[in-house]
Amino acid sequence: MKRIYIIAVVMVAVAIAILVNAAKDTSTYATFSDAARSGDKVKIAGQLAKDKEMYYDPEKNPNYFTFYLTDTKGEQRKVVLLREKPQDFEMSEQIVLTGRMKGEEFIATEMLMKCPSKYKNEEIYIKSEKGDI
Amino acid sequence: MDNIQYLNENLWPGRIGHAGILLAFVAALLGAFSYYFAVQRASQEEEARHWLRMGRGAFLAHALGVLAVIGAIFYAMIAQRYEYQYVWAHVSDDLPLRYIFSAFWEGQEGSFLLWMFWHVVLGGLLMASAKKWEAPVLAVLLAVEFCIASMTLGVYVGNLRIGSNPTLLLRDVMDAPIFANADYLQLIKGNGLNPLLQNYWMTIHPPTLFLGFASTVIPFAFAVAGLWTRDYAGWIRPALPWALFSGMILGTGILMGGAWAYEALSFGGYWAWDPVENMSLVPWLTLVAGIHTHLVAKNTGHSLRSTFIFYMLTFVLILYSTFMTRSGVLGDTSAHAFTEMGLGWQLTAFVLMFLVLPAILLAGRYRYIPAPAKEEALASKEFWMFIGSLVLLFSAVLITSSTSLPVINKILQFFNPAYVGRVITEPISHYNKYQLWIGVFIGLFSGGAQWLRWREGNWAANRRKYVLHTGLAVVAAAALSWLTTLWINAYAWQYWLLLFSGWFTLIVNLDYIIGFLRGNLKLGGSTMAHIGFGMMLIGILASGLNKRFISVNTFVMDGLIEGADSERIKNNVLLFKGVTLPMAGYEVTYVSDTIENLTRTYTVNYKRRDATGKVVEDFNLHPNIIYNKDFTKIAASNPDTRQYLHKDIFTHISSLPQVEMDVEFRKQREDSLRYKAVRLPMGQTVTLLDTVPIRNRDTFVVRTYSLTLDEITRNPTHPDYKPQQGDLALGAAIHVKRDDDDSTFTARPVVISRGQLVYYFPEQINELSTRVRLHPDIFDEVFTPEEELTYRDFTFKIGQTISFEGLQVRFDGFNPKAEHPSLQKKEGDLVVSARMHITSPNGQSYQAEPVFFIRDNTPYNLKTEVEDLGLHLRFVSIDPETETAQLRLARKERRVTGAPVEVATQSLRSDYIVLEAIEFPGINLFWLGSTLMMLGLGLSMAHRIGQVSKHQEA
Repeated sequence: MKRIYIIAVVMVAVAIAILVNAAKDTSTYATFSDAARSGDKVKIAGQLAKDKEMYYDPEKNPNYFTFYLTDTKGEQRKVVLLREKPQDFEMSEQIVLTGRMKGEEFIATEMLMKCPSKYKNEEIYIKSEKGDI
Repeated sequence: MDNIQYLNENLWPGRIGHAGILLAFVAALLGAFSYYFAVQRASQEEEARHWLRMGRGAFLAHALGVLAVIGAIFYAMIAQRYEYQYVWAHVSDDLPLRYIFSAFWEGQEGSFLLWMFWHVVLGGLLMASAKKWEAPVLAVLLAVEFCIASMTLGVYVGNLRIGSNPTLLLRDVMDAPIFANADYLQLIKGNGLNPLLQNYWMTIHPPTLFLGFASTVIPFAFAVAGLWTRDYAGWIRPALPWALFSGMILGTGILMGGAWAYEALSFGGYWAWDPVENMSLVPWLTLVAGIHTHLVAKNTGHSLRSTFIFYMLTFVLILYSTFMTRSGVLGDTSAHAFTEMGLGWQLTAFVLMFLVLPAILLAGRYRYIPAPAKEEALASKEFWMFIGSLVLLFSAVLITSSTSLPVINKILQFFNPAYVGRVITEPISHYNKYQLWIGVFIGLFSGGAQWLRWREGNWAANRRKYVLHTGLAVVAAAALSWLTTLWINAYAWQYWLLLFSGWFTLIVNLDYIIGFLRGNLKLGGSTMAHIGFGMMLIGILASGLNKRFISVNTFVMDGLIEGADSERIKNNVLLFKGVTLPMAGYEVTYVSDTIENLTRTYTVNYKRRDATGKVVEDFNLHPNIIYNKDFTKIAASNPDTRQYLHKDIFTHISSLPQVEMDVEFRKQREDSLRYKAVRLPMGQTVTLLDTVPIRNRDTFVVRTYSLTLDEITRNPTHPDYKPQQGDLALGAAIHVKRDDDDSTFTARPVVISRGQLVYYFPEQINELSTRVRLHPDIFDEVFTPEEELTYRDFTFKIGQTISFEGLQVRFDGFNPKAEHPSLQKKEGDLVVSARMHITSPNGQSYQAEPVFFIRDNTPYNLKTEVEDLGLHLRFVSIDPETETAQLRLARKERRVTGAPVEVATQSLRSDYIVLEAIEFPGINLFWLGSTLMMLGLGLSMAHRIGQVSKHQEA
């Protein structure tokens, strides 16, 4: 057998091994109860609970922002984001958090928001200066 | 609505554009068929020539169609014809003309057109230069064009939508009541371009990237042509410059994307393993792998089969990348995918078609592809180059697999709807962990193979030279790696190995270019590219692994959250305006900010001193934020970077006082301010102490405020106050000075009593972040309450003077056209005032006109006050017969001695920024290294073009 084929076979084997191994780098979107049970770092998808309190006071701490998130199972928990409050946070449709539960709070280190593309909303801007006709 | 004759619409660009689309679509199909038959009928020369001529004609017609639609859309965009949906969605009145290109390719349709445009340009060049390869290559290219053109068709077959037409009218796309108005164009304005894309990189990055995308079709088409015409090796020479061109342009396009991300986005870096980035990198990796096997094939005849595979794979991956970014499958895993348009099925079909058809062709012809019977020697260049290509493929497979997780989820969910999709928890570390080894191996192989020879048949003769050069490079690389770790941290042995591998390939190739090529750069393209690669590896380790947040704030989080992840929490600092904060050896000060249009630019000063306290470094950075159109929210935050040869200092505003970011919030916040009450006697200066705690240091700054009441005014003005009848308004001028600031500021707060309510109109002194307002008790200080007055009744005849409390009060007559600030006249009112003339004991005279009126048979009167005298006059009744007026007078002298004032310091500070600052050491090694790689590819291309033309002449 040619050397190249041997090498190719070895590489395929290594690739499979890596991809199998990499499976543990992945996780499903967890819920708060999953996160509380496992205590591991997880990703949680959910929506901002708009009726609950949000707290961000950069004068006290620019890296501390809390809000409430409703996960896919409908459970609401307080989330502590150890970052600045992102712009247009209130407009988010969906939030994906990375972090772990600590007591009753979810400590998030990473956050991804999906916003309705704010420049593409399907409404017609009426020129305000023209008034009504 | 169909019968409406709309006004001022210009329908011509749409008609021309639509005709262009149809022409491009039909002509691409016709051209592909013509060229196809030109190949198939090659044996019948006469017929083949006809087909070829027809193919050329169709190609030119296709080109015309593409240019027409692009021209029509550009015209509509520049002319701001908002009747077109595409123009309306991407352009606005205030969009500067220089961003019109960015606006054009912001949408999917525009970027498809850009892609087609480049295919047309490249196809034209091929038509002129490809000679016998013209027909098969252009047949493939036009087939691809046909598919892309279908993306802009916008027709429905049943319920199935084919493409999205960029020349549609807004009123045809959207159903809104406004279109009932024939003159609706007067009423609408454009949506405009996303502020993040309003950056010069966005003018050059997309066209470069799309030229890179477009150019991958050429090696692909050559490969297909080779299989199709059974000239399996003939395409190797003419395709090589194209492959190198494609590698250079696609690579440059990806790098420009990184440069844009680094300069315009605030995530702090040039690469984030975002799916969109990954899927543009992967085809580049397979393309570069293909270029290497291509060279092997050209020089030795080995690896020809793999070259076919690599180029076909590259093009399919380009299509797959298009599918990933445009079909919406990435959903919430990517920050910058296109918005979804329901073209997913079409893109899927596109990918499968160009995967399956070439695969069938390849499978059918595979065994006919010539390959030398003899195996590559272990010590030959071709062997290690092939292994290197396999490593690149390996990298591509790993990245594609991980990035495709959302696609895999979709597929699994299709078969099992209950399946819960998986995501990568920590993408960046996941990719880095594996791709690190790709870097190590590529570095070692590209260095280790350089002194090997093609088709090594006499290894003994070369061994001495090889061992000498390579061995010395190993020693030198080890030494330089050690020196490098004195500058940057390698942290773990794996990183140390990567560093070594970077130095190793750099040194070997440098040695090669000097020692073997004698500095002949014409032949040194590949060597230069490998030097660049080594340098890039070192640059990545320096700037990526050693990137350091210098906006560090260790004390802030202590105790707030136990055991919180340490890295994330201390990346931002709060900077008060004018208060210097030490930060990683720098003294950082937020100096000022200015607003121009929607952009607010901040000046942040960095100073560094040496041991003696002398300033050795002093520079300003200007990060900015862009507000949205209504000025109510922030749309974008742009960083600014100080660049040095050996490092960058990257700064951006990660947050602002919420009152600056959100107008709604500002209103709420005003009600919850904590004001300190202080009484200011007229003309005297009162001082007030305010304690400002300084975060992250256990210190406080005590500031002294000096307040001086200058005057109290009765009919004050205030920018926010619109006077109404019946208002009782008082204003004051108060000088405010703070001990740490030389200037004195004058605040003019106003307080209004309207009906039963008190309205505050405070004055904000932003420079001092101080807010001053008047306490409503000032009304009692200035106005005398009715209950404190004792009125006496008097009856006046015209001209009569009565003495009252030392004042001479004379009645001068009635005024039937009376006015009074508190009087809102109604129909049927009978209004009259008494013109009174008052002389004070010291001879000064005053006028007053108290008002009497009858409304609905009820008499009313309105009081008038002569403020200087404290005289209050009411006109209570009138006797028409005797022409007398009955007045009630009261006098209570009142001296306004001061004013109750409320001061809120720092509770509503709008004078700070939350700053994130990152130091990227050695980032220029990354840019320089990657640029050298691209230059090397370009140099090789130039060299190979020369070879091709020499070959053709020969």
